[in-house]
Formats: sequence, C-alpha cells, structure tokens
Amino acid sequence: MSPPPLLAVRRLEYAYPGGIVALHGLDLTIERGRKLAILGPNGSGKTTLLLHLNGTLRPGGGEILLDGRAVAYDRRVLDQWRRRVGLVLQDPEDQLFAATVGQDVSFGPLNLGLSEAEARQRVGEALTALDIASLADRATHNLSFGQKKRAAIAGILAMRPEILVLDEPTAGLDPQGVNQLLEALQQLHEAGTTLVFSTHDVELAYGWADQVAVFHDGTVLAQGDPDAVLGDRTLLRQAHLQPPLLLELAQLLEAGQGEPGRPQPRSREALLARLRERLRDRSA
Amino acid sequence: MRAIDHHAWTNRWRDRHPAEKLAPAGGLLLLSLVAPPLTTGPLILASTTLVTVRGAGVPLRTLLQVLATPAAFLLAGVPFLAVSVDFANGFSLQLSSAGLHMALETTVRALAAVSCLAFLTLTTPLADLVPLLRRVGVPAGIIELILLVYRLIFLFAERALTGRQAQAARLGYTRLDRAIYSMGLLAGNLFQRALAQARRMEVGLAARGYTGELRVLRLEQTLSWWRLTASMVSIGLIGLAGNLLACGWL
Repeated sequence: MSPPPLLAVRRLEYAYPGGIVALHGLDLTIERGRKLAILGPNGSGKTTLLLHLNGTLRPGGGEILLDGRAVAYDRRVLDQWRRRVGLVLQDPEDQLFAATVGQDVSFGPLNLGLSEAEARQRVGEALTALDIASLADRATHNLSFGQKKRAAIAGILAMRPEILVLDEPTAGLDPQGVNQLLEALQQLHEAGTTLVFSTHDVELAYGWADQVAVFHDGTVLAQGDPDAVLGDRTLLRQAHLQPPLLLELAQLLEAGQGEPGRPQPRSREALLARLRERLRDRSA
Repeated sequence: MRAIDHHAWTNRWRDRHPAEKLAPAGGLLLLSLVAPPLTTGPLILASTTLVTVRGAGVPLRTLLQVLATPAAFLLAGVPFLAVSVDFANGFSLQLSSAGLHMALETTVRALAAVSCLAFLTLTTPLADLVPLLRRVGVPAGIIELILLVYRLIFLFAERALTGRQAQAARLGYTRLDRAIYSMGLLAGNLFQRALAQARRMEVGLAARGYTGELRVLRLEQTLSWWRLTASMVSIGLIGLAGNLLACGWL
C-alpha cells in the first residue's frame, strides 16, 4: 500500500458567517515533494481554502487529513500542524510586525522553542535562501513590496515547514521580482519542501507547477498533470480560465506532424527552441 | 516623522550601542532641568547640535525642522509667562522684568531639553531602545504594544496618505465643506481598515506559532565603556561650566 498523502482535504464544506458558501464538497490531495498550483479566478475562495490548510479556519463539514489521520483543533494538535504547514499570506503587511527584518524572521523560530543561537542561525539560513541576507538589520517598513514579500516568506521558512503554502505569491511583483521568487522557491523544492500556491495566472501554473488543481465555485474541478488538466478546454471554459498560450502554441506547432512521446515545451525558452528547430526543418 | 525615522535608521551612529546614546541624552536632559538655564541651556543646545550634526551626520536642516514645532509652541507661550495678571486693584496686566526673565529661562530650558530628545530620536531607532526598556523591567505587554504601534503607525500613515491623494484626485479637498466631509470619510475608512488589518495580522502571527508573546531576537551591539564614560565626563564638564558661568566665575 502506498503511503498516505502528506495533506489531504476531503469533501470540505465552509460557509462564512452570514451563510455565504465559500467551499462546497472540495477534494484536494497534496503529495510530498510536489509543486502544486491551485488555479482559479480572483474571489473564487482560494484564500478560504488555504486558510483551512493550516487550521486557521475550521471546516463546516468534511475532513482534513495530515499523514492520513484526521486533524483535531485543540491547541497541541494545531501547534504541531502549523509547525509542519507554513502559510504565507498574500499581503506581507499582514505578517510582518517587528521593527527589523532579522527580528521579524526570528519570531517563528523562537516560538518553536529554539535557543537564541539556533534562532539566529535559522534567520541567517532563511534570509540567505531568499537572497535578502543584506536586509537583516533594515527597518521592515522601509522595504520595497518585493522585499517585504520575501521577508514574509523567510519568516515562515525559518520554521522549516514540510509544506509551504503561499497565497498568490507573485501578485504585485514585477517580472524580475517574480523570477527571483520562483528561483528561491525552486531551490526549496529541490531541498525537499512541498510547495502549494494559489494563483490566477494560468501561464505560471503551467510553466512552473508539476501539478495543477483547477478551482471553481468552491470546489476543485480537476487535479492532475498540467498538460492534461490545462489542455482540457471544456474544463477551463467551465472555470472561466483561458488555456496557457505556451500550450496552445505548442499544440499548433505539433498539429499534423505529431511526435508522440515528446514532452511539450513548458517554458518560453523551450518553445522558442522548438520553433527554431521547426523553421530550420522547413527551410532545409 | 518619516524623516526622523529615516535618519534614525541610517545615521553614522546607527550601529553604536543604544546605551551610548540614551545615557548622554538622559544625562543632558537631567542637567537641563536642574542646572541654571541661561548659561547651561545654550551649552546643552550647542553640544546636542554638535553631536547630532557633526557626530551622527544628521543634516542640520532636519534637526532644525524637528526642533521647529516644539519651539513654536514655546514661543507661543512666552507672552503668557512674561505678562502677569493682577486682580488686586481691579484688573491690570503687567509686564515685569521678573516675568520676562522667567519666560526666557523657561524657553531656554525647554528648548535645551527638547534638543536632547531630538538627538536621541534622530540617532536611535525604536528597535534599539526597546531591549533597554526590557532590561530596566518594563512589562512585556507594554513593550509589545509599543512595537506594534510603531509598526502600524507607518502602515496607516501610508494608507492615510494614499487615501488622501486618491480623494484629492477626485477633487475631494477643493472646498472647505467637501474637505471636512472627505476627511471624515477617510478617518472612518482607516478605522475599519485598522480593525480588518488587526484581524488579518492575527491570522498571520498564528501561522507562525504566536502564543501570546511577541518574542524576537535581540540586536547584537557591543557597548563601548570608553565612549560611555567620555560622554558622562563631558556632561559633567558642561554642568560645571554652566554653573561657573552662572556664578560669574568664568
């Protein structure tokens, strides 16, 4: 028997006070070592779902399984749970509270009961991982938005969670900021951290995630391989999403002269290389 | 306020141990309160200006801007101190030389005292002072409140500024009645945002294992006893000089 998934959500129901239904019979499986993108339009309830993943919100129905066991909501279990699942909120202002970046990042490690020396080491590691070691003694409120975002992620990272859950991590960042962030996340992924992030950016989900869950109307319509899920036009139309341009172009390119078994290009560079190759073939 | 904070974080003495700045600021403040003001006050004012501008490298302009507001209040108070009201035979106002002398003393004394605080706030970020507060036994709850307020002041100042700009862009401040209306809306909006922000920050902190105590690492700064002693000796000399001048011995 295969081991149970790291974190799983089964038939989740949640309604906000006042009766607005946010989640409705939602299933989601988070496997160890994945880069999972939760894809859906703004205001579709993605944040509500993420707030369930670390026990901030309590479901009205259904269950959440950590290592195959249903979670409980008492202090002790919640503490353990939040040690393993780190949640980074969309707006870094909601997370940063200390006067300097280094001090802010030290908050989580000290809450874990680490000594000051250990906490200091964790702070150094986390800041280095996000390439902001030089900001350690800077005032939190004097950072740029992109720097704040990375400081907020470092604050969670310093707690060494098994799963890093990020709400719209690229929102509000410029292209360079997005690239720097993705690079840092890629390194975390390679070091074994499981990544879950919400986004409305189909291109990002297609190009970067290794699994995609399409979220619509309080439920997950489909979860699986990016090529399969994002190649399903009917499904995407239902979720009010457009297929990724990269995938459409690649399909157009392969049309009529398919080479089955050859992977689809998943980045600009790969697609351009394929295009050049095709143009060379034609002129030859 | 942003200017004060900016210099506090970037001045040449930023990395000096906060006690090296707090002790002379406090010492001079005490001196300004007890020593003869007309001679000691100008000496204190001169020395705080010297260390702030030449020492820490804060522009003189900024220092003067910081001192301008309290100085304006002080000057506004001068007439009331200089003039004495007499109800003995009816009602009469008197401008006495004693009253003038007292007004001058008070103004000089207060200005000297304010300059000590200006030196401290312009050279020392709050983050550095808080550990000292903790060491002298200020309760953790109060310290956390200070830190949160400090952090949120900047957040809300920024929101207030952008909110005001957005209102002004839609001509919300062109007439007095509309300006009052706009300001009311902005205040109400900021209040709601403050509450929402507090709730979201609670979620953010809970995600990081918050259990009711905002504990963070102390900053690593080494205290230079040499500098601390030198500053104390200087304060003693200023006090001595002030007293000698006041007695006419110098």
